[in-house]
Amino acid sequence: MEQMTSKQRFLAGLYGDPVDRPPAASIVSVITYELMDITGAHFPHANIEPEPMATLAAGAHEVMGFDSVMPIFSIAQEATALGCQVDWSDTDMMPNPTDSPWADRDVEIKLPDGFPDSFLEDKYVKCAIDAIRLLKQHFGDEVMVLGKVMGPWTLSYHCYNTQEFLFDTIMDPDRVRKSLETLAPVPLAYAAAQIEAGADAIVWADHATGDLVRNTMYRDYLLPHHQELIPQVEAPVILHCCGKTLDRVQYFSEAGFTCYHFESANPPDEMVEKAAGKMKLTGNVNNPVTLYARGPDEARAEAQAAIDAGVDIIAPECAVPLQAPVANLQAIVQTCKDNRHQ
Amino acid sequence: MSREEEIKKGLFDHTLVGEADEVVELTQEGIDLGMDPLDILFGALIPSLQEVGRLFEIGEYFVPEMLVAARAMQGAMALLRPLLVDKGAEPIGKVVMLTVKGDVHDIGKNLCNIMLEGEGFDIVDLGVNVKPEEVVAAVQEHQPQLLGFSAFLTTTMPFFKSNLAALSEAGLRDSVKVMVGGAPVTPEYADSVGADGFAPDASAAVRLAKKLMVDMGYDVSMGGDDSEGASALTTAVQAVEELMVKSGKHDE
Ligand code: B12
Repeated sequence: MEQMTSKQRFLAGLYGDPVDRPPAASIVSVITYELMDITGAHFPHANIEPEPMATLAAGAHEVMGFDSVMPIFSIAQEATALGCQVDWSDTDMMPNPTDSPWADRDVEIKLPDGFPDSFLEDKYVKCAIDAIRLLKQHFGDEVMVLGKVMGPWTLSYHCYNTQEFLFDTIMDPDRVRKSLETLAPVPLAYAAAQIEAGADAIVWADHATGDLVRNTMYRDYLLPHHQELIPQVEAPVILHCCGKTLDRVQYFSEAGFTCYHFESANPPDEMVEKAAGKMKLTGNVNNPVTLYARGPDEARAEAQAAIDAGVDIIAPECAVPLQAPVANLQAIVQTCKDNRHQ
Repeated sequence: MSREEEIKKGLFDHTLVGEADEVVELTQEGIDLGMDPLDILFGALIPSLQEVGRLFEIGEYFVPEMLVAARAMQGAMALLRPLLVDKGAEPIGKVVMLTVKGDVHDIGKNLCNIMLEGEGFDIVDLGVNVKPEEVVAAVQEHQPQLLGFSAFLTTTMPFFKSNLAALSEAGLRDSVKVMVGGAPVTPEYADSVGADGFAPDASAAVRLAKKLMVDMGYDVSMGGDDSEGASALTTAVQAVEELMVKSGKHDE
């Protein structure tokens, strides 16, 4: 088979068409301290200014060899615009929401005034849109450019406080529903702006994970929203939900996602068996043990196991630990190259 | 079944499913009937929370179920605490808990707090993103027997070591036993940074905390008869050891 461009390969993987070799992807963050040094784009600039953000994201293809690039490294890009406190100044850490506007139950659950315009003009929201535009200009149709949004469940963790939100899934279902309903338009607006700026597909993170909640919570609270929202996104959507999820992929597959990004807590062959014919899969090389603490040989073995199991797009499981060696990520790409179809 | 027994059974059952109003009502009824607050606590509430921990450990319960059960128990504790203080029931130990600098994951730590408190420990929670100098200040201020560090990111795990170094520098390292935990933490890593113990979940954290207390020579035989202090201590050690072996978490 003729050699494909990175974007052709990624899209073929996403739609189940023939590929020259398995695609290797940056789905959520693959950036590391070492990549920051190589590209010269460091935190905090790479989280808050479009140029360094795009430069660092481009390193996923140019330095590591992945078929996709994705510039939104943290899960907090939307949080300031929604009224959360975020420390954007840290040089070593991913930014993260620290204070939630709706944690106090007397506060009315509503979006800040002026949504969506004020949201899309927020410095950090806009930064990512501009970075996507830069990446698109730079890579054209050679490399897959991914955007990323947080869905209403994860945004509820930010806006409502994670623990209070989880508590209320049992104690105050109405307030939980109100939160999800209120936040539902946010990922839609953000995804549309990212697609307009050049994103070829959208990663949609919604952490209704088996590490925290029962599968029926996903089915009863979130699935109806996903079924309504996902078809409105004018690009393929890749769900990201980490943790143990084998007990809920059936529900994920009913939501309209093109592809699901899963974690190493789920054996790839079992995940493939559950998702076969319903949606494509991407994952699931382990972060904290393999990519962070072990070497290229182990990374290679896990990437190969995912390929052998029939995972469509090979990727690390979640945001890669920032101290992971670049060589371990390159080993994932190399494994995919070694699996070239004749 | 006597009304007292019915109340205890009701407290166990309602706590298990987080029915806070019922738990408060039954606790008040028990107090009005003149039941021993220690019996309400150790005969009903704590066993129920232990069952919650067990169900969580085996994957039958998830985080929300655990949170609502704990909050139901807190309602009962508000009524019992003054009576327990009157009876001179002391906490079995003081624990300062925190999530390390740069890390905001706190659900795992909070669940540990709930279980430890449920077992009679006094908890001082420093919250998330806690700097080494704040750890030192808290140990100076609260003088706990135990200190618990939680970390969920490989980027923040090294702060276990920074915290321990800061404690040594302040001359406080030997005054406390340090437990560590969090999703990516392994027993080997805990060992390598010089922590005194590691636990993979909240129930195991309770067993670990009790074991460390016993190692330091404290009596953790909650509600035990003081006249039998020595034998109660031995029984407690045995019980804890047994639990550790049963759960395969005995450190060699
Ligand atoms: C929920 C979650 C979040 C929530 C946290 C909300 C909150 N307030 O806690 C949000 C969405 C905010 C979040 C953010 C991020 N997260 Co996160 N998150 C998780 C997730 C899905 C579950 C963690 C959890 O709460 N589990 C439930 C609790 C009850 O279980 P537990 O963690 O095992 O806790 C038990 C034990 O560990 C033990 N224990 C815990 N603490 C202690 C302490 C002591 C003393 C003892 C004895 C025992 C003990 O007892 C607990 C109770 O049983 C994990 C996935 C996973 N596989 O763990 C990722 C995970 C921890 N996150 C991860 C990442 C990468 C991030 C982000 C960097 C993402 C990003 N791109 O920005 C940010 C970091 C923000 C920051 N600076 O801290 C990675 C960490 C990888 C690594 N090792 O470095 C994980 C492992 C996902 C993955 N597979 O890659 N996350």
